[in-house]
Amino acid sequence: VSALRILVSFKVTPDFEALREADWLAGAAHDAARGVETRYVRRVLNCFDESALELALRLSDARAERGFATDLGALSVGGRETQPYLKTLVALGYERAARVEPEAALDFAPAVTASIIAGYATRVDHSDLLLLGCRSGPGDSGTVPFLVAEELGWPCLTQVLEVEPLADDRVRVACMVDDGLLRVTLRLPCVLAVGNAVVSQLRVPTLTDRLARRDKRIDVVSGADLGVDIARELSREPCVLKGLEGIDRARRGVIVGGATPREKARALFDSHLKSALEKL
Amino acid sequence: MDLSREAVVEGLQRLVGPDDVITDEAVLVQSSVDNFRKLQNIFDVHTMPVPAAVVMARSTRQVAEILSFADEHGVNVIPRTGATATEGGLESAVADSVIIDGSAMNQILSIDAYNMQATAQCGVPLQVLEDRAREQGLTTGHSPQSKPVAHMGGLVATRSIGQFSTLYGGIEDMVVGLEAVFPGGRVTRIKNVPRRAAGPDIRHVVIGNEGALCFITEVTVKLFPYFPENNTFLGWTLKDMKTGFEVLREVMVSGYRPSVARVYDPGDAGLHFSHFAEPDDCVLLFMAEGAPGIAKATAEGIDAVVAAHPECTQVDSRYISTWFNDLCWGPDKITAEDERIRQTHNVNRTTEISADWSSINEIYQAARARIVNEIPDITMAGGHSSHSYINGTNMYFNYFFNVVGVGPEEETTKYYLPIIGIICEETLKRGGSIVHHHGIGKARTPWVKEEYGSSYYILETLKHAYDPHGIMNKGTIIPK
Repeated sequence: VSALRILVSFKVTPDFEALREADWLAGAAHDAARGVETRYVRRVLNCFDESALELALRLSDARAERGFATDLGALSVGGRETQPYLKTLVALGYERAARVEPEAALDFAPAVTASIIAGYATRVDHSDLLLLGCRSGPGDSGTVPFLVAEELGWPCLTQVLEVEPLADDRVRVACMVDDGLLRVTLRLPCVLAVGNAVVSQLRVPTLTDRLARRDKRIDVVSGADLGVDIARELSREPCVLKGLEGIDRARRGVIVGGATPREKARALFDSHLKSALEKL
Repeated sequence: MDLSREAVVEGLQRLVGPDDVITDEAVLVQSSVDNFRKLQNIFDVHTMPVPAAVVMARSTRQVAEILSFADEHGVNVIPRTGATATEGGLESAVADSVIIDGSAMNQILSIDAYNMQATAQCGVPLQVLEDRAREQGLTTGHSPQSKPVAHMGGLVATRSIGQFSTLYGGIEDMVVGLEAVFPGGRVTRIKNVPRRAAGPDIRHVVIGNEGALCFITEVTVKLFPYFPENNTFLGWTLKDMKTGFEVLREVMVSGYRPSVARVYDPGDAGLHFSHFAEPDDCVLLFMAEGAPGIAKATAEGIDAVVAAHPECTQVDSRYISTWFNDLCWGPDKITAEDERIRQTHNVNRTTEISADWSSINEIYQAARARIVNEIPDITMAGGHSSHSYINGTNMYFNYFFNVVGVGPEEETTKYYLPIIGIICEETLKRGGSIVHHHGIGKARTPWVKEEYGSSYYILETLKHAYDPHGIMNKGTIIPK
């Protein structure tokens, strides 16, 4: 029996948390066409993709315990900044690691990104299961997982929180839905868009792991290899940033009076909680 | 101790009232450790003796009464303000200790813009004092990574240092006077003067005492004019730490005083600078600040020094300024880091030492090699130099490991203490100091006698003289 091939597509993004308000406002005021300048902040894994990468490792571990073989692959659409992350994933046991370096920025071009991911999954990776984050940072449309599934003709589950193995060709998936948690048994192939999962941190390889797998190749694939004419696709998706506007998030604050914690708790209860409790 | 746990609590309640004596079990258990055993709090697995109470002191008089009570009955006390210690200084080494918490003594008593000094109670967060000073165009010049959460009393007690130390100095260069309470309840004040030659500088009995001699209730620190508009950032990549140390030395010996002067090794640089540095790059960076002429001359001087090292490649200064603007750790980053550890069992620890220019690179190389070769499950071993002087610099070892095969309570014995041991051994072997700015705490007491050599006599005598009954933070600085 051949191993189940799981592909995780991830994105390396600027650390938006490291931007100051002034950086956002400068982007809004002076350079709306190009957006906020993010070149100078460090890069991080998109948090939803980080969950997907760790969930895939855990799924692989759980399948191994049941005697099922798994072959993990990682793909990122991006430049040189993705290389350290791909090396880390290889050290963690991802057998295949590749990046597709587009010749132009793919901001606001979800259909192009989806074509690249779908092309890689079918033409190169021959994946059985595709995991990816349900969305990435500011400016992201959140549509990539749906578009990938559409291109592949696979079912797509969103807001995935957990994945467990059932049989060799089936997984049990927990997804967040409006009124609770939905548990579904899926026959593969499928696309899983990972949401706000409890598992949010990728494990860390040791220096020994890195040394042992340092010679494994990171593939660099072009759009042409995948049958995607990126420049032409981009021209069909002429989405440009028109402007940026700050959101006033200031909230009114009240300093609760009182000399002791007991007095402060009483004042807080009387002024804010008592009336709410009475309405229950 | 001649009192039961209950009698200790009752005695404290008589002194400060019941509301300010905290006996909630969860608070006590959490207060039995500091960041040295942070995994015990993260995973809620505790092994240290549980304190009898946390007592909130609201005045110098209350501190004096508590210390008098403790001294009379032999109760071990642990002075605390912001609770950000990293070396076990806040651990309760013996059962039924009392934590004296000064965080409610949080008034800024004066900001004297003419005499350029500010006086604050021990529980004033440094960030609050700094923000108030900046309203008047002034700065304390003190900016440790813990600035958003650390308090003035603790910063002085642990002899802290900030990110701008190369210009402004450590806290010992900033404190001009203070008030402290010694065992038995004796209140002492050291007056605020620019300098004096009236015998030994007794500020240094108090600064860095880590709660093992006295409780600091008030401090007066220097103020400086604040010129952020002149801040100039400079950065280079290079391939080896030896060159980096050499450049730092040349800058210092040439007489330039950048506020920030650092060199990162490739591992540590990878955590911050991988968006512009290659995986095998070291990163050298500086910040020049001050009045316009000074900032400009400093930046130009540094440029000239580095230009003589063609192996250094200059990078866009905005990489450095952007990094610098996100350097301090507030509660949000601490919470995120705790969650990362909870999920991955991957722990980040740091140990800082200092040495002269001749030895620092050897210590860095030897200690790093031994950590990688001797300690299991290491995921990163590196560091940076971040505080330089005319005669040497520090090395801030920064390392990560996966905790494998043991519970969180054994992390210190399997990984952390052996690594500290390697770093201390390699440092002492070459004449350096085993602690540059975190304090001895309890973690580094095994090496304190070797650190001091024959001058340990002075340290030990201070302890016996000021704390004859041994009630002050037992096991801190002086081994138990």
